[in-house]
Amino acid sequence: MIAGIKLTQEKSSSDRYVEVQSLVKWFGNDRAVDDVSFVIPKGKFLTLLGPSGCGKTTTLMSIAGLHSIDGGRISVGGSVYTAPQQGVFMPPEKRDIGMVFQSYAIWPHMTIAQNVAYPLEIRKVKRAEIDARVADVLELVGLTRFANKLATQVSGGQQQRAALARAIVSRPRLLLFDEPLSNLDLKLREQMRVEIKRIQHEVGITSIYVTHDQSEALVMSDEVIVMSKGRIQQKGGPRDIYSRPVNAYVSNFIGVANLLKGRVIAVTAPGRGDVEVAAGGRTVQLPCRLGDGIVAGAETVVSVRPENVEASRTNGGAVCLEGEVIQTVFLGNSVDCRVRWGEFEWKVMAHPRAGLKTGEKVYLRLDPEHTLAVQP
Amino acid sequence: MVTAVVSLIVAVAVILPLLVLVISSFKVMDFNGFDATWGLDNYRTLYTDRVIPKAFVNTLLISAGSTLLSTFFGVSLAWINARTNCPANERLEPFNLIPFFLSPFVGAIAWHNLAGGKTGLLNSWGRDFLGVHGNLFNVDNIYGVIWVTGLFFAPLVYLFVVGSLRRMDPSLEDSARTTGAGLLRTVMTITLPLVAPAILSGAIIVFVSTAGEFGVPFKLGAPYGWQTLTTEIFSKAVGDDANIYLGAAMSMSLGVITVLLIWIQQRYIAPRSFTTVTGKGFRPNVIELGAWKWVAFAFNIFFLLVAVVLPILCLFVVSLHPVWQAEIIPHDLTLHNYVRTLFWWAPDHISAATNGIYNSFILAFVGATIAMVLSLVMSYMIHRTKGFGSRALDFLCVVPIGFPGIVLAMGVLITYIKTPIYATLWIILLGYITRFFPYGQRNVSSVMLAISEDLDQSSRMAGASWFTTLRRITIPLLKPGIFAGWVLLFIIFLRELSISIILYSSGTETLSVGVYYLTNYENETLTAALSMTQTVVLLICVYVFRRIAGREALTA
Repeated sequence: MIAGIKLTQEKSSSDRYVEVQSLVKWFGNDRAVDDVSFVIPKGKFLTLLGPSGCGKTTTLMSIAGLHSIDGGRISVGGSVYTAPQQGVFMPPEKRDIGMVFQSYAIWPHMTIAQNVAYPLEIRKVKRAEIDARVADVLELVGLTRFANKLATQVSGGQQQRAALARAIVSRPRLLLFDEPLSNLDLKLREQMRVEIKRIQHEVGITSIYVTHDQSEALVMSDEVIVMSKGRIQQKGGPRDIYSRPVNAYVSNFIGVANLLKGRVIAVTAPGRGDVEVAAGGRTVQLPCRLGDGIVAGAETVVSVRPENVEASRTNGGAVCLEGEVIQTVFLGNSVDCRVRWGEFEWKVMAHPRAGLKTGEKVYLRLDPEHTLAVQP
Repeated sequence: MVTAVVSLIVAVAVILPLLVLVISSFKVMDFNGFDATWGLDNYRTLYTDRVIPKAFVNTLLISAGSTLLSTFFGVSLAWINARTNCPANERLEPFNLIPFFLSPFVGAIAWHNLAGGKTGLLNSWGRDFLGVHGNLFNVDNIYGVIWVTGLFFAPLVYLFVVGSLRRMDPSLEDSARTTGAGLLRTVMTITLPLVAPAILSGAIIVFVSTAGEFGVPFKLGAPYGWQTLTTEIFSKAVGDDANIYLGAAMSMSLGVITVLLIWIQQRYIAPRSFTTVTGKGFRPNVIELGAWKWVAFAFNIFFLLVAVVLPILCLFVVSLHPVWQAEIIPHDLTLHNYVRTLFWWAPDHISAATNGIYNSFILAFVGATIAMVLSLVMSYMIHRTKGFGSRALDFLCVVPIGFPGIVLAMGVLITYIKTPIYATLWIILLGYITRFFPYGQRNVSSVMLAISEDLDQSSRMAGASWFTTLRRITIPLLKPGIFAGWVLLFIIFLRELSISIILYSSGTETLSVGVYYLTNYENETLTAALSMTQTVVLLICVYVFRRIAGREALTA
């Protein structure tokens, strides 16, 4: 039973529980983190998503206090963690956080139970209570049977659970995850995603999760921040990020997208317009949804998800692109097709029943609702 | 088949001398020293003798003391170098390892001239400049033995510890910090326990090595009434009251202790070394010491001063004098000592010294080469073939590490005393290779374990024979390991004393035996000159090797 794990109430507005303002971190001459700001409401699960070197782990380490920052301000639950301008730096051990590391960092000279008990011992909790809470948490993560094993005697997945148990046992204000699943195999990773989400929900601790795996981010998060080169590209719910990417980078990083350069030639209605796209001598006007800041005459990128392209053998409808199937890959529930249109290769997710064959001539139909004109 | 043959040869080389040693320890020399009968008298003598029990206690005290000192220096220097922002860390590190490659015997000679009761330069300066009555220091006693031994074996602990400090996953410590543990608590509950097996391993190896160390107690202990087991074994082997059977019994008593300790280390401590290595390039957490970094820096400089700089400078100064009177006499300075110890054509040369240099180079070159070929074959057998032979070989590679050189040399001496190889360089070569090939073998093994067997197998798949694969794939991949092992052995053989001292005879002196001869039968300044030569040669070897093999090399 884990009903006992609840956060102590803080005197801060609970929808600005974690506040990161204009965070800047230099590594030599590189701005590893460049003016990053965000807030997390209490109890929510935020994911920092991006390729390696995008500054996501640096941001996490700054919040953990495992290195100093060069500018900005980090506060959690009303207490300031770091504010170099005011000369404030709270050492990591005072920040009351739980952290799960990529390498698990389960101490090999202690048993699983000793590892989990450690944060409580630091906090001088009474022995009887420590035992009770350790037992509770181990049950929550399903490690009761392994309590007295040494870390070196259990599998990677079990070490992972132990690391999670150790991070939550002291009921910290904030949980930090640094790519915790990247060392696990695919099956286990998918299972642990759901597990972590369940446990986080159950204990209700505000969490920040760092990953480069977009599907992990979509599955687990209340909110996702996509980062690149030290900057925030987009922030939003998983659905938003996937269906309304703000720029070419995000739409390419999250899932798969057909991206075509173009120019807005007319705004037909608020948020709607026609974009002229050219590829290999062919020019076509596509009716699109316009993203923020996309106005008439603007250079833009048209982004279409493969599942939103319909391929058929018959020509019909206003916007139809004629192309040739050059490759089909059978994936079981769908067929991944490549369709050549001028110089451009469309990625199309077709239904297996459509029975498209290589070399065939097809017509691609785009749904204007799902054809987005975004920032280049 | 090949495995069996090689196992047999190595088994004979390793096991036979030890077996003979056990057997002969039960032979009792009669009063006249010609005949022997079977009996336990030798073992009775071990505790009824006037000197031996004392030597036993001294050996334990010296080993314990120098192990503590080595561990203190080794662990603190490793921590300073690997984990703090002490100034010039990168530059200091290679220098901290230097004593490991020099001869502790020479170190003892240097310290004798630096801080010996009557002969110490520091003492005479203390009298002249500080107005001290009597002596500032005196290293001619058990404390001096502990001091010099401790200094020279500190790099061994350092090497054991620095690796685990460097390779430790920083998130192990970070996670302790995030759970609320402060810096000190993290060091005490996480860092130290994680490196404890490495520290303990290093300490045990140092304890065993110092128990078998001959040169330092011979120079600073025995002449002043502080005999040890090694100095007693030596006098039983070649001294006036020679009694090799009693020597065998004493060797046994020393060997049993060291083998037991090595067994504990290999069986219980080495496997506990936590694999904190995950193949990722870690950047270890560096601790900001603030103003304390200058204290750490001073500490490191102090170590280099007492372990390297002062002894070498002192040797050099002493070697330039015709006679050493604990004072620098500028108008007396001469290079004549070098002429007498280096130039075999000089009319007043000392052949023990000139022979020693010549013999040592031959022994080092041939010995290192043979030992590495043997190591290569054995590593291949151990790691690339399965079965009983390979396990037996693995065991045989550990056995010699457990026996001090002087113990093994006693066994070799008794075994081959009536064969033609006695009193030739061959018996010394045999002793060297038997005792030290495991060092080369470990170098090759560690590389062989690191390279995947798939690389070999795909060569076989491509149609290459076993031998072609070895020649074209395995050996080229192993080159760094083979080379590192070769140079390590070359250096060890150039400074070897405790085997040579038992097995040499007139004409087959080695470099260290030459030094022994000079210190015993000639004077301090000639001794200093040859010591200086040996030290310079060793330093050049280390330098050249580091230039060729890079920073990571020579960390056996």
